Amino acid sequence: MNRWLPKTYLTLVYVLLYLPILVLVVFSFNSSRTGYRWGGFSLEWYESLFNNHAMVQAMWNSLWLALAAATVSTIIGALTALALHRYRFRGKRMLRGMLFVVMMSPEIVLAISLLALFLLVGLQLGFVSLLLAHVTFCLPFVVITVMARLSGFDESLPEAARDLGANDFTMTRTVLIPVIMPALMAGWLLGFTLSLDDVVVSTFVSGPSYEILPLRIYSMVRVGLKPEVNALGTLLLVFSLTMLMLSQWILTRSKR
Amino acid sequence: MHRVLQQPFKTAVLVLVWGWLLLLVLTPNLLVVGASVMTRDPGTFLSLPLNLDSYRQLFDPLYLDVFLNSLYMAGVTTIFCLLIGYPFAWALSGLGKQRQTLLIFLLIVPFWTNSLVRTYALKLLLATNGLLNNALMGMGLIDEPLKMLYTEGAVIVGLVYLLLPFMILPLYSVFDDLRQELLMASHDLGAGKLSTFLHVTIPLTLPGVLAGVMLVLLPAMGLFFVADILGGSRNLLVGNVIKNQFLDARDWPFGAAASILLTVAMAVLLFAHRLSQRRLGEEAQA
Amino acid sequence: MRKLALAGLVAATLTGCSSQEEPGVLNLYNWSEYMPQEVLDRFEEETGIQVVYTTYDSNEAMYARLKLLDESGDYDLALPSTYYVNKMRKEGLLEKIDHEKIAGFEKLDPELINLEIDPDNEYSVPYLWGTTGLAYDANDVDGSEVTAWEDLWDEEYEGRVMLTNDMREVFHIGLRVLGYSGNSTDPDEIEEAYEKLTELMPSVRTFNSDAPRMPYLEGETDIGMIWNGEAVMGNEDMPSLEYVYPEEGTIVWLDSFVIPKNAGNPDAAHQFISFVMQPEISALISEDIGYATPNLAARELLSEEVANDRTSYPTPEDLTNAEFQEDVGDDAMQVYTRYWEMLKSGQ
Repeated sequence: MNRWLPKTYLTLVYVLLYLPILVLVVFSFNSSRTGYRWGGFSLEWYESLFNNHAMVQAMWNSLWLALAAATVSTIIGALTALALHRYRFRGKRMLRGMLFVVMMSPEIVLAISLLALFLLVGLQLGFVSLLLAHVTFCLPFVVITVMARLSGFDESLPEAARDLGANDFTMTRTVLIPVIMPALMAGWLLGFTLSLDDVVVSTFVSGPSYEILPLRIYSMVRVGLKPEVNALGTLLLVFSLTMLMLSQWILTRSKR
Repeated sequence: MHRVLQQPFKTAVLVLVWGWLLLLVLTPNLLVVGASVMTRDPGTFLSLPLNLDSYRQLFDPLYLDVFLNSLYMAGVTTIFCLLIGYPFAWALSGLGKQRQTLLIFLLIVPFWTNSLVRTYALKLLLATNGLLNNALMGMGLIDEPLKMLYTEGAVIVGLVYLLLPFMILPLYSVFDDLRQELLMASHDLGAGKLSTFLHVTIPLTLPGVLAGVMLVLLPAMGLFFVADILGGSRNLLVGNVIKNQFLDARDWPFGAAASILLTVAMAVLLFAHRLSQRRLGEEAQA
Repeated sequence: MRKLALAGLVAATLTGCSSQEEPGVLNLYNWSEYMPQEVLDRFEEETGIQVVYTTYDSNEAMYARLKLLDESGDYDLALPSTYYVNKMRKEGLLEKIDHEKIAGFEKLDPELINLEIDPDNEYSVPYLWGTTGLAYDANDVDGSEVTAWEDLWDEEYEGRVMLTNDMREVFHIGLRVLGYSGNSTDPDEIEEAYEKLTELMPSVRTFNSDAPRMPYLEGETDIGMIWNGEAVMGNEDMPSLEYVYPEEGTIVWLDSFVIPKNAGNPDAAHQFISFVMQPEISALISEDIGYATPNLAARELLSEEVANDRTSYPTPEDLTNAEFQEDVGDDAMQVYTRYWEMLKSGQ
């Protein structure tokens, strides 16, 4: 097999993957409103974005929600992984099964099932409903990340702690958590991103009392080609890039 | 009873975990199953009597058409992802480790960007006044702009664009395991390149292929916003139908039934995946 | 230590969030592109009430959403079209408007108040009225050939037509083309309209009620339906976009403010209505988004150009054969809905 063929192919695919994004970034600085002529460099779309109260509010809301969802799902997910790894109890398979179902189900199935639940219970759609939904779909990913870390781990440490008289809780706190910390952080970041990006689930379980960014973007996009969306998209891209690089840095640091 | 008190931490953890999953995973799914056999009610969304009408409606030629078309679009998406992703994963696994890490990172970056924004970026490219048309006309390749938006093709492009990484990653992980040892072993045994490919590579990468298919095919049918933004209101996915029934038409039993349809499809694929893994295990032992 | 911080973070995020508890928030649920940002900004400045603006693209979506959120009182104001005001009023989904709390009602056009859909305007206050007519891009289509709804069926326009994503409006043109009333409740007539519309489907490139002018501006469609205000706005960006009052008769509609049942902040809702009804504001709205204001005092403040723009303010000749959208009742709606789904799903 020729040496250059695979490399050319890879390059080609990467170019195609990045092309739409690059177009977006470039045109976010285009002063011309419509059409595809370059009108000159301009930051006006960014300006108009930040002058839009509703947009800024939605950005904050999304951030807070993602923060909360990532945190809660990391806590519950870590505990789940620990339980699955360390404890013996009935119905382990069922637990695993439910997690699997959440991870594999198409988001829309998840979305309507939760909507049905919230309506039945009479929960007002807003921050709480969004939080519950987001934590639920982030959960399996955290569990997997943590379990991967746990499986390659030396059992003698917890045993030693036990011998020294520590109870379960202390042992977990002082031994296990530091060990799985990198996985916790990776899981947290993953949850954060999933929450921030979510469109499908949020469409169903959100209420007007808590406006989030993806839904705002959705209504803007449906109205048509707007340069403000380009600017917003670029900002989100930069944000994701930063988060991703942060996660890589954390993971490589902790490997030592 | 005293066992529970003896291990309070363990109990607390189990209560929390079980509680969350039972409440927010099991119950909702049961509710959907329940909703699918109830009757539509304009006032309260659902009411008795129980019946299978909504399932019958699934097979109404009108909706059956939509579902089959949706399956077709998702299927074509999956095939394209496979055609693009398979050689990609293979090529990727052949590079040095450091390069690989960098390239995986580059692959994931778009994936970490908001999918709505990426879909919108495609609209910029494919619009009649869009970049692609302007470029093609500028180069003199076409006279009239191509009408690419609001077609099935546009939806498929959108789906492939969003879901490609989901095909590549499982494939890559399988190729990663596979690469050197087995291929060399196959060579040592005298098999030619094509033969190796057909009889060794493909069967061994099959679980990866199936994993990729699972991660692409079903979600593809549910990504309603891609159909909305790129397909206009004509090219519908199952996800659009479900959304419509729940949020516009308020026919919850029917929406629930359609959702169950997707879940059943998922179960089928999972089963196929499980089977392939088992067979792989058997062949490896043989 | 780290754990405490974590717990604190969680607590802070969980508590610090719902904006509806603040007294100064108005949840406005409206059509997209149907309220100038300037109006919202000025309202916020004057009253200190923050406006949360959410949009819908069809009466059906709005209605479904309000039903879904039912008791929770999430929206303070909504803007249904005529026949939906009637429907929602009858189903007890609306709060009564306290006319003591709003100013300016007497300035409204007597022809547009106290209609059958809401006698004495107990539940609604008119916002804007408008027409749905034909649009075409003069650069791509010969204007002399575009005079009637029937023209849309011309094979020449295959794959180039745009329709609004509105069930009643699309069936309206199907019915009118056959000589029936757009407010028909006769299932046979509706079925005939459906058959006629299926013939049109191959020509339809897309449906759009988010911003009907955009497919024309973006070059995706050349001819089709459009709302008059959208035509006005579109014409500013693309002068070749023309608006035509079709021969068979244009569609006329009226959108009104309503306060959904259990609204969280009805006082703010009343304040907003009063604010909009100031002649200066109503005039601003009409000039900005191109629809006609029912406020007679505002009409006098309009610039010459806008007041004489036939697209925004049709002459009586333009309105010959025009039909006002009326409520057809739940039974007929079900018939329409069924055929609409068949129409949209058919490939």
